[in-house]
Amino acid sequence: MRLTAWLPLAVLSAATVCGAATRPHYGGTLRVEIRAAPAALDPAAADAGPLVSLVFETLVRLDEAGAAQPCLAVSWQHDAAAKRWQFNLRPGVKLQDGSPLTSAAVAASLQSALPDAAISAAGDALITIRANHSLPGLLLDLAHNGRLATGPFRATAFEPGHRATFAANQDYWGGRPFLDVIDVQLGRGLHDQLLDLDLGKADIVEIAPTDLRRASSQGHIVWSSAPVSLIALSFGPAPDRRLREALALSIDRATMHTVLLQKQGEATAALLPQWISGYAFAFPTAPDLPRARSLANALPAAARTVTLTYDPGMRAARALADRVAVNARDAGLNVQVSPQNPRADVRLVEVHLASLDPAPALAGLAAALGLQAPGAPAASTSAESPAAFYQSERRLLEGFRAIPLFQLPVLYGAAGRVRVYGPQPITKLGDWRFDNVWLSGTVP
Amino acid sequence: MTFRTRLLIAFAVTVVVAVAFVGAIVSTTTQHAFEQLDQQRVAALAAQFRQEYVRRQREIAQQVKDIAEADSTRDMVIALSRPDADPSRYVDAAQPLAAAHNLDFLELVSATGSIVSSAQWPARFLYQEEWVKQRDDWNSQEPFLKREELPTDTALALISVYVLTVGDSKLYVIGGEALDRDFLASFVLPAGMRALLYREPQSIVSANGPLPQTAALAPLVDALRKQRREVTRTVQWTADAASAETFHAIPLTGPAKDSTGAELMGAFLVGSSRAAQVGLERFLRRVEILVAAGGILLALLIAFWTTARITRPVEALAAGARAVAGGDWHTTVDVHVGGEIGALAAAFNQMTRELIEQRDRLVQAERVAAWRELARRLAHELKNPLFPLQITVENMQRARAAHPEQFDEVFRESTATLLAELGKLRGIVGRFSDFAKMPHPQLETVDLNSLVRDSLKLFEAQMQAAGVTLRLDLAADLRAIQADPGQLGRALQNLVLNAIDAMAAGGTLAIRTAPHEGGVRLEVSDTGQGLTQEECDRLFTRYYTTKAHGTGLGLAIVQSVVSDHGGKIGVRSEPGKGTTFVIDLA
Repeated sequence: MRLTAWLPLAVLSAATVCGAATRPHYGGTLRVEIRAAPAALDPAAADAGPLVSLVFETLVRLDEAGAAQPCLAVSWQHDAAAKRWQFNLRPGVKLQDGSPLTSAAVAASLQSALPDAAISAAGDALITIRANHSLPGLLLDLAHNGRLATGPFRATAFEPGHRATFAANQDYWGGRPFLDVIDVQLGRGLHDQLLDLDLGKADIVEIAPTDLRRASSQGHIVWSSAPVSLIALSFGPAPDRRLREALALSIDRATMHTVLLQKQGEATAALLPQWISGYAFAFPTAPDLPRARSLANALPAAARTVTLTYDPGMRAARALADRVAVNARDAGLNVQVSPQNPRADVRLVEVHLASLDPAPALAGLAAALGLQAPGAPAASTSAESPAAFYQSERRLLEGFRAIPLFQLPVLYGAAGRVRVYGPQPITKLGDWRFDNVWLSGTVP
Repeated sequence: MTFRTRLLIAFAVTVVVAVAFVGAIVSTTTQHAFEQLDQQRVAALAAQFRQEYVRRQREIAQQVKDIAEADSTRDMVIALSRPDADPSRYVDAAQPLAAAHNLDFLELVSATGSIVSSAQWPARFLYQEEWVKQRDDWNSQEPFLKREELPTDTALALISVYVLTVGDSKLYVIGGEALDRDFLASFVLPAGMRALLYREPQSIVSANGPLPQTAALAPLVDALRKQRREVTRTVQWTADAASAETFHAIPLTGPAKDSTGAELMGAFLVGSSRAAQVGLERFLRRVEILVAAGGILLALLIAFWTTARITRPVEALAAGARAVAGGDWHTTVDVHVGGEIGALAAAFNQMTRELIEQRDRLVQAERVAAWRELARRLAHELKNPLFPLQITVENMQRARAAHPEQFDEVFRESTATLLAELGKLRGIVGRFSDFAKMPHPQLETVDLNSLVRDSLKLFEAQMQAAGVTLRLDLAADLRAIQADPGQLGRALQNLVLNAIDAMAAGGTLAIRTAPHEGGVRLEVSDTGQGLTQEECDRLFTRYYTTKAHGTGLGLAIVQSVVSDHGGKIGVRSEPGKGTTFVIDLA
């Protein structure tokens, strides 16, 4: 053939190759590493982590704006008082064992999540939920509770604390996911995860805010949830209230947020994040050193020493704890930092938001921080006004038993070969949506 | 103290003094040698420290300069100089730099004095280091000592500051090394020496870590604080002298802050154990003691050998002399040594022989004299009654021949005279017989005062007739004595009789009793004409008398009685002043 005939052919081939490179294709094993090491793949367990979102689904899911979108339920309606709700189930959905999803199964799953409501199934596709009180936040609730095993992946192997392997669900109602396998290494430290990402041994890892800049400089993709993790100081029973208040007033959150957390998330003195409560700004975050010193000086010298512990696996824990100790020195307090000390006076903790619904979210945070007995309602129900929530939160924090510091997002770093067909695969709450993830460079 | 003991002591003292003298010299010399050696080693170690210190200063200054002049640091200064600078990008910059340059401390401080990054205390980012802005000439300054605050304690650091200036911007690079146990471990120490580091206010570390007990070093630290110069002190860690350690302290000062001068940051302590010296001194002392003990033992042996040759003969001589003094004149000393001691023993034996001979001659002479005296006295005493006997018999013969008609009357008168004179003769014989066969006293408890009173009753009439006044001075607290009351009474009577006889013209008879040296004393005094000294000496000789009449046995009997009672009798007299007889009884 003549050279001129070869040229269009070459251009056409190049265009085909380039197009293939950007168009999603099936296949490949996604290697994921996380710190969590759940004992079981149980959506009801507190340490379930993001793994359950690969296998289990809910009636609705939230979009980027936080609005409920259809998932297992295609539509819903409720009465004016929001006491009676009806959900129409998606047809053709199968459970992981291959059996069709029935309204009875859905009802049974929802009953455990909504014990106060009466849930009934009508036919194969209709679920009715009745309650004696209004349920305005039911959709937010149902976005996280009442999970059923209809997800895009199914668990093929689970070694507690070590490894979990998932394979694509061929019968997924939303279409077979692109990935063949997701291999998740459990209980891996943040530093090791980042190293594996740099070395090409992992595709998706968790990233600490302090490593964000480095991950970006290495060319990794960074995904972030909304600020859903509360970093706080939680006190035990002993220390004097004046000491707790002095410590709270000595902390310079702004500098820590800027330098250590690289402006990820937000500095806060409230339990619920601003984007959920809308009133977090009303809790002052600026330090008040003169008042802190005054409170500390009122204490006997021996009472100005306190031990601060943290979990070394927690993101940026050591840097934050050391900075808290430095700030406390300015107030005349002696904070001794020691990791994993069960007898410490105060703990630096990270508590993940359990729900986007303020009431259960606040209750969960209060219980995790020891501000009230587990199970007891934090303040009120979702029907309460923001002002009422604000008052409830104020009451929880007035004794300084917990000192909120930051609301941090969940951060993931991804290798260059990880691609997404659609929105980012990390939801606002930090759950995984890997059904749209594919790997470039794999042979279809 | 015997001669042997004195000899032994003399030898022992000589040995001990000699050993002690030599031992003192050896100890002093040893101590001096040790101290000299110690001073040399301390000086060497101090020089080593100074060299190491200067070397580290240079090294730290170079490392800090290298960091400051690195391209990455320059880029940092440029980035931080921008209006939108984000110092948080460099918050972790210091740690890897410090590790790469073997620095314990590294801080990157912006021109405003705000910490950009701290290797030793990462959490102090954006805190102010005001002190670094107080000088502009850091680049020409030597590294200096500074107290560095750390999260959990305070460290003593050798710090260098380098100012990197890029355009109008600058960055302070503050780097250094800790003076700690690792610094001490770099020294090569001879045996018995160690290096410590004192850090103000009260921390002392060795190459093995913090020193657990530092109270003993408190005087050294106090001296160091007051004097601010090198001081030396000896410290004893326990009651054992071997635990003593001499410390030489080299003060470590920081830059002068005010008129009081440089601040004392700490001190380099060079410790030199005295264990070896104390051990050697103890060894020497043990040797001294052993030598002294050996010397004393040798002295004992010599003393025993010497005394065998010297003191034993002398003791034998002394024993012999005591025996002779005790009356055993037949004692001889059996000494077979030559020299003066032998001559002395021979002379002693000769002396005793001659004493015996002289005593025998004297005894014989006295015996002859006594026999002559006895014969004279017998002749004298017997002559008196014999003459009337002869006259009476001659009268009877004449009367029978001339006047037979008067013979019966003459016979009666004559026989009466004959019987009277025969009675006197019997009395004389009886006195001699009594003296010859005087029995041993039968002792019983006797109250001497009562005996005196009873004996004097017999002489009341005689004294009155003689015009003699009796004066009694009897002690009331006189104790009873063991005596034969008959013999003692007779002895007293003899003395009283003699006293009365001595006061023919009257006088005073005084009898005194009194306790004397645990026994009793009896004195019989008269105011007669007294006796001469010769008469006193011969008074108790048998048959000696100053009286015209008498057997001369009275005082001999008194002396014999007193002697048999274990007592003594003596006499005091002067012519014209009377005589006093003194009897002491136990």
